[in-house]
Amino acid sequence: MGQAGNDLSVKELIVKYPDYPRITIIKLDTAYRGVQVTAAAVAQAEQDGAIFRAPEAKEDDKGEGELVFGGAQFRDGSIVRGLEDSISVKKYHLQRIGNPYTLDIVDGKAWLLDGEKKVEPVFFTPVPQFYGKTTSRGIPMNKVVRGSSNVLGINVYNYCYFWKHKLACQYCGSVQNFTTKNETHTEASLQDIYETVNEALKEQGRWTSFAFIVGSDPQGERPYDREVEEIIKVSRTLQRVFGKRPFPLRLISSAVPQDQLLRYRDAGVTAIEPHLEVWDKQLFNIICPGKAKFFGWDYWVNNAIAGVEVFGRGNVCSQFVCGAELSQPHGFKDEEAALRSNFEGAAFFARHGVTTSANILRLAQGSLFYAQKQKHPSLEYVIRLTKGLHDIRRQYHLGVDCNDFKRCGIHPDTDLARLFNHEVEV
Amino acid sequence: MSVLSPEVKALLKDPDVFKVLATVDDKGHPHVVFKNHKIDLLDDGTIVYAEVIESSHTNSNLIHSLWFDKHVAITVKGRDGTSYQIKGKVERYDFVSNLFREYYRKLRARKGPDSELSGLWYIRPESVKDETPSVRRAEEDTKHPFFRHLDRELVAA
Repeated sequence: MGQAGNDLSVKELIVKYPDYPRITIIKLDTAYRGVQVTAAAVAQAEQDGAIFRAPEAKEDDKGEGELVFGGAQFRDGSIVRGLEDSISVKKYHLQRIGNPYTLDIVDGKAWLLDGEKKVEPVFFTPVPQFYGKTTSRGIPMNKVVRGSSNVLGINVYNYCYFWKHKLACQYCGSVQNFTTKNETHTEASLQDIYETVNEALKEQGRWTSFAFIVGSDPQGERPYDREVEEIIKVSRTLQRVFGKRPFPLRLISSAVPQDQLLRYRDAGVTAIEPHLEVWDKQLFNIICPGKAKFFGWDYWVNNAIAGVEVFGRGNVCSQFVCGAELSQPHGFKDEEAALRSNFEGAAFFARHGVTTSANILRLAQGSLFYAQKQKHPSLEYVIRLTKGLHDIRRQYHLGVDCNDFKRCGIHPDTDLARLFNHEVEV
Repeated sequence: MSVLSPEVKALLKDPDVFKVLATVDDKGHPHVVFKNHKIDLLDDGTIVYAEVIESSHTNSNLIHSLWFDKHVAITVKGRDGTSYQIKGKVERYDFVSNLFREYYRKLRARKGPDSELSGLWYIRPESVKDETPSVRRAEEDTKHPFFRHLDRELVAA
């Protein structure tokens, strides 16, 4: 694993970085190595309400979303990563490193095991109670809204122009998710969302926010107009649910000009994530050719900053794909230089009230990186980078509420924000 | 076997006695707050603390304690002045279990439907010290007689 080939073990890293949570290091390691779930653990998960089988699901049906695993949490409430292809198989394959962990039942309790050794107890996450119900026109609600531990997620627009026109971000493996449909919402599909959200809210104490996941589509009279219109349709549907009361809603979507952001705000959006992905401008142009073409590094950076005026400090989050900057032959060859670049970007954004998150690079089948046989960053690099991003955020008293361990859960640096939430200034 | 005596257990389960939670942040700064209703005891001897403010200093400190294996302290004081200090380790943060939902429902029933519950912290008690003033003074007199003022001997006589 890693570019250098002389990586430290998890045990060594835990000793070397005593101010970095041990559980978070293990979580990073599970993300890379993967976790296999034993039959006993599946049975326990089922008993704990963490598995949903659609009525039409076959026993061996793993690929069509008919079997959903709610996942598991560590003792600190953060999610166990590496379970993506354990029970409910996604349509893409992640390149794993080394031997997978095992999730098994030991003395009646769920444990993460490394070989025979107990590493950490884990706790299954129940699937949402609205799974298994249907909308008035018979659409399964689990296909309308996705519930993770604390968030209701809606795939607003399943189409990425970049993928369709061979301009995809090079690390992205979501080809099936964003090229198979090019449909806009209809009154009927919005009603499905309305009904599903109303049903979801009956589960008291479960949900804290919404997340919209949107494919990039730069088409329209103004940049990304088509994408904007779809977002507004769905957010207006949520406004129907809540009336005049505000609700937390974050968009994982493209950068758009400020006049469009004001429309978002009027439609109920409270946070945006126009992900830059790579701070270094030259690498951005290579790794994210679609974003570079529509409409360039400056456009994405400036519109993120403009978003702070609309949504406030900490409510605009730009993601860095941690490790993409090390891809070869164009990326950094020196990890120190790569870290400096990321920290320069995070500090720049923080000065403007834009928070950052690190999405650690995992090589997914279907991505260009996968085909190019790129390498994952070392765990030590990820630890240093995410700790640095956390330190910068703390230095600026900048929060990341919209994208933290509960609201997302895949970013180790935003897990660390829990240590200083009481110091955040808005 | 639990380190908690039946008397301490009863105090922990009583929502109306004073309960104080002391934590330390990652800079070593102490943070001590009253948490009377929010501290409870489970049947298996685990202390549960119900956090209602997600961005509270206590919440930050508790995750610091869980991640870096630090102790927290809880002091309970009964109506008759009986007082105990419990030291323990933070075992888990929970915001999805059936127990969490039960506490969430109970809180809303007690405080109204706009009540918030961020999560439950489970604390494993490791030691208990009787901090009742009369008990502590008697203990001090026995263990450290040189620390007493002599004029107290005259009073005692």
